[in-house]
Amino acid sequence: MDPYVLLKVTWWVLLGVLLIGLAVMVGMDMGVGAALRYLGRTDGERRAVINMIAPHWDGNQVWFILGGGAVFAAWPTIYATAFSGLYVVMLVLLWSMIVRPLGFEYRSKLPGERWRGAWDWMLFISGAVPMIVFGAAMGNMLEGVPFHFSWNMVSYYTGSFISLFNPFAVLCGVMALALALYQGGAMVMNRGTGVIRERACRLLTIAGLVALAVFSLCGIWVTLMHGYEITAGGDPAGPALPLNKTVETAAGAWLANYTAHPALWLVPASVYLAVLGGIAAARAGLSHLAWWLGALAWAATLVTLGAAMFPFLMPSSSEPSHSLTVWDASSSLGTLGWMLAFTAVFIPIIGIYTSWAFWVMRGKVTPESIAHDEHAY
Amino acid sequence: MQELDTVIELSRLQFAATALYHYLFVPLTLGFSVLLATMETIYVITGRDIYRQMTHFWSKLFAINFALGVATGLTMEFEFGTNWSTYSHFVGDIFGAPLAIEGLMAFFLESTFVGLMLFGWGKLSRGKHLLVTYMVALGSNLSALWILIANGYMQKPTGSAFNPDTMRMELTSLPDLIFSPEAQAKFVHTSIAGYVTAAIFVLGISAFYLLRRRHIELAKRSFRVAALFGVFASIGVISLGDALGFINGGAQPTKLAAMEGLWETAEAPAGFNLIAWPNQEEQRNDFEVQIPYLLTPLVTHTFDESIPGVNDLVAEAETRIRNGIPALSALQTLRENPTDAQARATFEAHQDDLGYALLVQRYVEDVSQATDAQIAKAAADTIPPVAPVFWSFRVMVATAFLMMAFLILAVIFSLRGTLHRHNWFLRLAPWMIPVPFIANEAGWVVAELGRQPWTVYGQLPTWLSASTHSVGYMIFSLTGFVLLYSLFIVVEMYLMVKFIRLGPSEGKHDAHADSVRQQHSSQWSEA
Amino acid sequence: MKQILHFLFWLLLAVVAIALTIVLGERGAWYFAWVLGTVMIVLIAAAGTAIIDARYDESHDDHY
Repeated sequence: MDPYVLLKVTWWVLLGVLLIGLAVMVGMDMGVGAALRYLGRTDGERRAVINMIAPHWDGNQVWFILGGGAVFAAWPTIYATAFSGLYVVMLVLLWSMIVRPLGFEYRSKLPGERWRGAWDWMLFISGAVPMIVFGAAMGNMLEGVPFHFSWNMVSYYTGSFISLFNPFAVLCGVMALALALYQGGAMVMNRGTGVIRERACRLLTIAGLVALAVFSLCGIWVTLMHGYEITAGGDPAGPALPLNKTVETAAGAWLANYTAHPALWLVPASVYLAVLGGIAAARAGLSHLAWWLGALAWAATLVTLGAAMFPFLMPSSSEPSHSLTVWDASSSLGTLGWMLAFTAVFIPIIGIYTSWAFWVMRGKVTPESIAHDEHAY
Repeated sequence: MQELDTVIELSRLQFAATALYHYLFVPLTLGFSVLLATMETIYVITGRDIYRQMTHFWSKLFAINFALGVATGLTMEFEFGTNWSTYSHFVGDIFGAPLAIEGLMAFFLESTFVGLMLFGWGKLSRGKHLLVTYMVALGSNLSALWILIANGYMQKPTGSAFNPDTMRMELTSLPDLIFSPEAQAKFVHTSIAGYVTAAIFVLGISAFYLLRRRHIELAKRSFRVAALFGVFASIGVISLGDALGFINGGAQPTKLAAMEGLWETAEAPAGFNLIAWPNQEEQRNDFEVQIPYLLTPLVTHTFDESIPGVNDLVAEAETRIRNGIPALSALQTLRENPTDAQARATFEAHQDDLGYALLVQRYVEDVSQATDAQIAKAAADTIPPVAPVFWSFRVMVATAFLMMAFLILAVIFSLRGTLHRHNWFLRLAPWMIPVPFIANEAGWVVAELGRQPWTVYGQLPTWLSASTHSVGYMIFSLTGFVLLYSLFIVVEMYLMVKFIRLGPSEGKHDAHADSVRQQHSSQWSEA
Repeated sequence: MKQILHFLFWLLLAVVAIALTIVLGERGAWYFAWVLGTVMIVLIAAAGTAIIDARYDESHDDHY
């Protein structure tokens, strides 16, 4: 196999890994933030909930930053086109995300009820909005986004920003939020006790069931919508320029990969198994198992999406032949190779010290345990 | 054209505003993390509790600053894509790599360990906690390293070549990119400037306590460590600044001419413009006060080299524009027919000046039709706005020397134990806190405004780099940033001042933490 | 066993330091200067502060 093709596919897989890491780790913290006012009724309870994720939210958020950086390095054309095309959506995502560090860091610095209440709402917004936007962005990728390029690769977006929040995209957003709430519930069950743990279990159950319902609905929708297929050009080993191919749309085209490889149907099936199994595990008190099954559900959801779209990454609805695919939106051979080397060296190192950090800060957090801890949030 | 110009100006304004704002917090984080590690080192070596209290107190202020640095850093990562999409496509193959490596190598390190640093006091042995603090310091400085490698590329593109088949710059050598002299000099200068910032911050607050006769034991030790830390850093930042100027001046003669207000080429021995009033329209200084003979050795590190002025630089740019025009025309032909051998040959012969042809495309879509007047206009564009660059540079240098003098005095008073006799100095110190911040911002302006009209020097003009948004979008985002960021700074300053006034919680022992510590230290001695 | 592990850890660190010096000395002189300079600044500042306690030994005087 041509090394360039191999690297492109490897980076497509790594993009998936990053998105999964981001969804699981950041989604978990965002789920906790979004459900904070439900999980904790008193200030003490809320502080307990916040301190369960306090030592790790910053490290987890790096998945998000790394996701952006990796797209920039490995898929620069996607980075340029998606971030500018989805301008308003990206800004909403950004603004809701940048209040989050402040919410964690500043909330408990002052005692006032109104001060803390205001930050609680900030944490709610900065938990719920980014997950909805994340899901909606994925939904838009399935539907295609109206953009095209000029001869010198200046990109033009021709849609309105409201169209980015179409019903299908919003549904995908709800799906993402529900999975985040599930994951947040599992995390709080891991580190919480008593009434907080009970509420987290209830949250996890409801969120998991909602996620499954929405997932089914989205699945039916995708089988009916117009998918994309390359009909001419699109050489996998060709230069990374998305102007040399022909793309057509057809209803149900997103199922082509599933029809060609029926074993892929196991992936969406495992979403159902993971969520249902996770709910059962949580109700049996096995919250760590529920957490890992939730992570599996996220992974299976994103793999379902990726398998449907391959080799497309960001189809264009207004100029389908300018769609961005795995074959023509990547970096050069040299950059992909160097980045793979850095990833191979650093991901294991990151894994080691991140696990160590979780191990050091292990243990239950209760309103009593943080009341006397001057280091807590 | 009018709409395009407005969008570009608004995009530049937004980027400058968000970057300058982000850069209020970054240098303090860079230096503060190392200074905290220094304080904790003393604690681990001497075992005296006062140093634990000291590290603990300052790390609270560190955290308040750190949160905003992280938050506003997110904006920067988004903005290349949202507002500079053509730039991101044009150099993403090179520029994206250091950004991604920054995430892998630095952000994970910094962010994972900052949680342990702030929350792990009772859970880690002394030695392990010290290691954690050093990891935070290493992580934050590594992130500065990679972002400045990326910025170094914008200042002086190395290790890359334009590929006509993909219409973008592509990486040819990552080591060349990482070890580019520009990136190296930028990193050391910026990181050490952060050290000075943190030192003066800690000095100012410690002096405030000493003046009020509060927390004396803690404050005098903090004063000492910050003074010593800062004095070496300030000497370093000035000498490294000279090195950066030398390297950058060679790479970007237009920036150098603007920094020194040189309208005519300066034959050796040239005088240094201490003060001047540059007039861009008439291409001369309305008024200048010179120190004779100083400029030549200062800039060239020799006594006989001449320094190119605006007149010669514009003439050179005009030649390069004319040479680049065939490259751009050939490129367009190649896009329509990639197998056209003649067009490829023309392109390769002229490709070094492709970027200069893009400058004139601002005034005429088909560059082969460019008139002499349009070419002259584009050539004049290659000179950055002289007055703001000239003055920012002088502000940066003057404040640097002011800080060095201040820090030398601080070291003398602290080492001789005569601070209590110099109340004027203690009163002055808190007022010095804004000075390093002013110097940092001025340095950013020199580096980035001085690079205009390019985003990637000599390769990609700023006017072509921005996303194709409407003015309405830009006003929307700019308004959002102004509102949000104003709110942030108010909250941040409020908390910072509140915690400074509150001061360290002296003598308040954490019984649980103490027992854990004893347990760990006995383990440590057994091992 | 623990002592051997400690020894190996420091040995590894020394090897990394030597490798870094060789690579940086060749092409990254400024980076190398930064590493040395930072270590120097940290050590001098730490030592210079620690002597406060050596001189006065938990001093109760008003001099600072």
